[in-house]
Amino acid sequence: MRRLNFVFVLLIGGVANHCHGATGEQIYTTQCAFCHGKAGEGSKKYPKPLIGDKSSPQLALQIQKTMPKEDPGSLSKEDSLAVASYAFDKFYSVAARERNNPVRVELARLTVSQYRNAVADMIGHFRGNATWWDKNRGLKGEYFKERNPGKRLIERTDPEVKFDFGVNAPAEKDFDAKEFSIRWTGSVLIPETGEYTFIVKSNQSVRLFVNDNKNPIADGYVRSGNDNEYKGTVYLLGGRVYPIRLDFSKALQGVKDKNPKPLPAFVTLLWQQPNGTAETIPSRQLSPQWSPETYVVTTKFPPDDRSYGWERGTTVSKAWDQATTDSALDAADYVSLRINELAKTNEKDDKRAEKIKTFIRQMAKLAFRKPVTDDLEKVYVTRPMESNPDLQAAVKRAMLMILKSPRFLYREPSGGEPDQYDVAARMAFAMWDSIPNQELLDLAAAGKLKTPEEVKKHLNDKMIWDTRAKTRLLGFLHHWLKTDHGRDAVKDAKRFPGFDAAIVGDLRTSLDLTLDDVVWSDKSDFRQLLISEETFLNGRLAKYYGVDLPADASFAKTAFEPGKRTGVLTHPYLMTTLAYSAETSPIHRGVFLAKGILGTGLKPPQEAFTPIPAELHPNLTTRQRVELQTKGANCQSCHLVINPLGFALENFDAVGRYRLKDNNKEIDPTGTYLTRSGETKTFKGAGELAKFLAGSPDVHTAFAEQMFHHLVQQSVRAYGSTRTTELRDTFTKSGFHVRQLAVEIVAGSALAASSKTVRK
Amino acid sequence: MTQRNRRDFLRDLGLGAATLPFVLNLPSLGFANQSKRKQRLVVMFSPNGVVTKNFWPDETGADFKLKESVSPLEAFKKQSLFLHGVCDKVRGDGDAHMRGIGCLLTGTELFPGNIQGGSDTPAGWSKGNSIDQEIKSHLQADPATKTRFGSLEFGVMVPERADTWTRMVYSGPNKPIAPIDDPYQMFKKLYGRAKDNQVLASVMDDLNADLKKVADKVSGEDRKLLDEHATFVREMEQELKADKGMAAGHKVPEIEPGVRHDNDNIPKISKMQIDLMVNSFVSDASRIATLQYTNSVGMARMKWLGITEGHHELSHEPDKEEKAQEKLTKINKWFCEQLAYLAKRLSETPEPGGTGSLLDNTLIVWTNELGKGNSHTLNDIPFLLVGGGLDFKMGRSLKYKQVAHNRLLMSLAHGFGHRITKFGSPNYCGDGPLADLT
Repeated sequence: MRRLNFVFVLLIGGVANHCHGATGEQIYTTQCAFCHGKAGEGSKKYPKPLIGDKSSPQLALQIQKTMPKEDPGSLSKEDSLAVASYAFDKFYSVAARERNNPVRVELARLTVSQYRNAVADMIGHFRGNATWWDKNRGLKGEYFKERNPGKRLIERTDPEVKFDFGVNAPAEKDFDAKEFSIRWTGSVLIPETGEYTFIVKSNQSVRLFVNDNKNPIADGYVRSGNDNEYKGTVYLLGGRVYPIRLDFSKALQGVKDKNPKPLPAFVTLLWQQPNGTAETIPSRQLSPQWSPETYVVTTKFPPDDRSYGWERGTTVSKAWDQATTDSALDAADYVSLRINELAKTNEKDDKRAEKIKTFIRQMAKLAFRKPVTDDLEKVYVTRPMESNPDLQAAVKRAMLMILKSPRFLYREPSGGEPDQYDVAARMAFAMWDSIPNQELLDLAAAGKLKTPEEVKKHLNDKMIWDTRAKTRLLGFLHHWLKTDHGRDAVKDAKRFPGFDAAIVGDLRTSLDLTLDDVVWSDKSDFRQLLISEETFLNGRLAKYYGVDLPADASFAKTAFEPGKRTGVLTHPYLMTTLAYSAETSPIHRGVFLAKGILGTGLKPPQEAFTPIPAELHPNLTTRQRVELQTKGANCQSCHLVINPLGFALENFDAVGRYRLKDNNKEIDPTGTYLTRSGETKTFKGAGELAKFLAGSPDVHTAFAEQMFHHLVQQSVRAYGSTRTTELRDTFTKSGFHVRQLAVEIVAGSALAASSKTVRK
Repeated sequence: MTQRNRRDFLRDLGLGAATLPFVLNLPSLGFANQSKRKQRLVVMFSPNGVVTKNFWPDETGADFKLKESVSPLEAFKKQSLFLHGVCDKVRGDGDAHMRGIGCLLTGTELFPGNIQGGSDTPAGWSKGNSIDQEIKSHLQADPATKTRFGSLEFGVMVPERADTWTRMVYSGPNKPIAPIDDPYQMFKKLYGRAKDNQVLASVMDDLNADLKKVADKVSGEDRKLLDEHATFVREMEQELKADKGMAAGHKVPEIEPGVRHDNDNIPKISKMQIDLMVNSFVSDASRIATLQYTNSVGMARMKWLGITEGHHELSHEPDKEEKAQEKLTKINKWFCEQLAYLAKRLSETPEPGGTGSLLDNTLIVWTNELGKGNSHTLNDIPFLLVGGGLDFKMGRSLKYKQVAHNRLLMSLAHGFGHRITKFGSPNYCGDGPLADLT
């Protein structure tokens, strides 16, 4: 990932689609095509195709020095540049070749995320679903009279666990202030995949269990010395709920204390999310409803290819193969050790062997996303069962086979036209990043996934309300906003005192809540993402950004500087990450808007420049410094597009606070943009920019195309050259309904025929 | 992502499939850690004190008779050393049982805490590491004595709760180490990878055949990906084959399946754990081991001896209760039989790549949290040593005059060439290691 704060990259050259001149083409046709072929394909005498990875200027230099063969040096510098630029865009560059080559739906293995989700859901199938989320928040609190659970005096829902009882009893009732115990149980919703640290702070005996009801993740049953904090870290998959239990006991443990002293007692349950700081687990992530344990694959996998901008499983490596083996062995161990629980049997059960056989068959069906044919039954079920009289060992062997099978590891490994089960699998992978559940398999078996209406109905009624779908859509929005990787948000402490890791963590939460609020509202209106004047803020953020809220307020939807601030593009998290540590960066903001939001193809960066330090020009505003540095003609071809977009956000400083002055001078937030249809739009400030973007077909197209790639993980062009336009039109007709767009995308790709090659 | 697991760890050590011989310590490969004589230490713990009159020899010196509790050791009398008069002098928080086990190998006090015993003040964990871990660190710091695990903590029916009474081994202050009392878990720790590779090798043919079937159906462009996959599978197959060849002669031991974690299975589990320990020494997976039977205040009901009462309640009976004394003597004799079985297994196993037997290079220390159950004394803690591992002069019965057990702990370290001048609480280290052991 690029570090933004130190060096920025100036994009030189031109804006794609705008910048090949007729002259280049003429020169090529008359002087080059004879040997190199009309489209750089080569000729009999020179069969090597004219392709490579030089930049356009580099290619120009080579041409000027070496071509044409009979008279090198005869081309002027301008002509060389023109012909190089022509060849580069038409066929020489990687981008051009990608464009010219036929695009097809490629065979892909499961991505790492799909692999982890699939294994979790295969095992989870036998325990019940852990991807629900009901309306109740908090944890169930059971308050007991004695130091161990038994005589229960109170049962209630506690929004969070943060209590300081002092020397008192937890409630009036029949409690003895010197001895009581509390058990909190329920589930915790994990927003994104990663390592979570759970922390209990208490001066009494405490034990915390997360996704493992037997082994505590934090064990403070024995208090020893001055420890008041117990913690443990666990890797969890996002978009799922996990069981959590906290046992608290105020009393001496061991032999019962006959003469207890009045002592103070407190207990707090905290967590630290990936890239976050320690905080009390907020009520919105807790449910009093119990959930089953989820098996989580913790094997380290090599990262998936993201070179196209979305995750693809189109490469395999030895490290990947090894990881699938390690992971399969671990999971096989886990399952074989718990086979009685999972297959609902026991050692004395007459039907144990039969039940285990059924279990393995069902496991294979889930893994392969298809019913198990007789041939496969022999290989994956019968043979392992017969291999070992010890059924536990047989299960291990069968699980290893299933998890190493190409039928599990690859998406649609057998090619051919998609059947109903393929449709089900495509729906599940796109919507949940996982395998189909029993309900989907049943629909496939009944042939009820044949029409777009049937498929969309199931997506709309069921699948999209699953926690995995929620995480998947939020993941896409982060991808769209380029916030999908933790970014360096460390700021100049002198300029921005108080802007610490806790604020950054809160900002991230604020962005998530704001995005979710729009997407999961009835209208799910995309435009609201850009023009809404409301943001989720808590007390800490409100204080820092000068909004009037109580200091300890938890996150709530708040009017945030209405009239000045509109939509997520002005969200302080974005403004902060798209800025240097002390100054703003209109260029980063402009590139983000041009490429990410408007979908304009900018040429790849070719040279790195260091920004002019502000101290060198103490009298200039940031806007003026940027204009000064990018005024050269070869800079301007791109910066003409970039700068005026970024300038419109100059009212937001490097931590996203609204400002009217930069370097004590009035800010000029006017900007312009030349649309694809050739219209010049002018806007003053973020409000007008947001309004323009919300109504821009270019923005809608970019959004739809990026969502397609994120969900389907294949090039949209493989589904027909008009697919993007169709999606944009449906999107527009739906009133820019984000969830419906997702349903359209998933349904369309799920039902697509396997005519795998579409020539452009 | 920073999560790591056992497999990453093995791979980081270069212990993938092809390097299994290292894990299994094949002598033919001549590793650095084989040049010097290997020394080992086993600490075996049983709870609730002993019946002193049936435990300690009356005589001192080389000519002594074994009493009833220790009669199973007859065959190893010449390799045995009785140390009477060694006392746990550590005081502070915690009752005698808690301090008895918590200070036994650490020689230092318990932290104040919230665990209340039958008397005295409540306490937490120990303030220091235990001597086995101290020696382990010493051995692991030197490539010549470093082993895969450094130490292995075995248990037999240790209750599933972590508190002061159930923990004897500490890696540092407030850092108790839980013994592994499930032989299957210990087996997995020792042989998991090798066993996994066997299973993996057995499914390769079927997987290859199916991969080929699948690849035949996809288009030419897509087949490239599956072909590439197939090459990795073949490579793994070759590695597994190479692995099998090299590991020949160091078979993964077979263990009886399906033995449940249950009081009545204590004899079976004990034997399994001892066999695994001996195997781990053969493959030099570790040179330090502890073997903890139940826990301090242990409640084993030795029905197989015809005793239905729990061990701890019996231990509270006064000396005049002859029947109880008899039962307690039987119980301790049973523990001694376990010790004798361990000594026998070690004595029958030749030292790989060395001379003599494993027992010649191993010292077993059998100990207890109390001197005597009904008085809860921490004086005259049972310390019965067997084996030639530390070159102590064996075949003797020694009687000390109330020496602090810290000095014995130091002697153990010195036996390994780890010349510490104090261990645990410095108050009790005064005169250094015990003088007349070697």
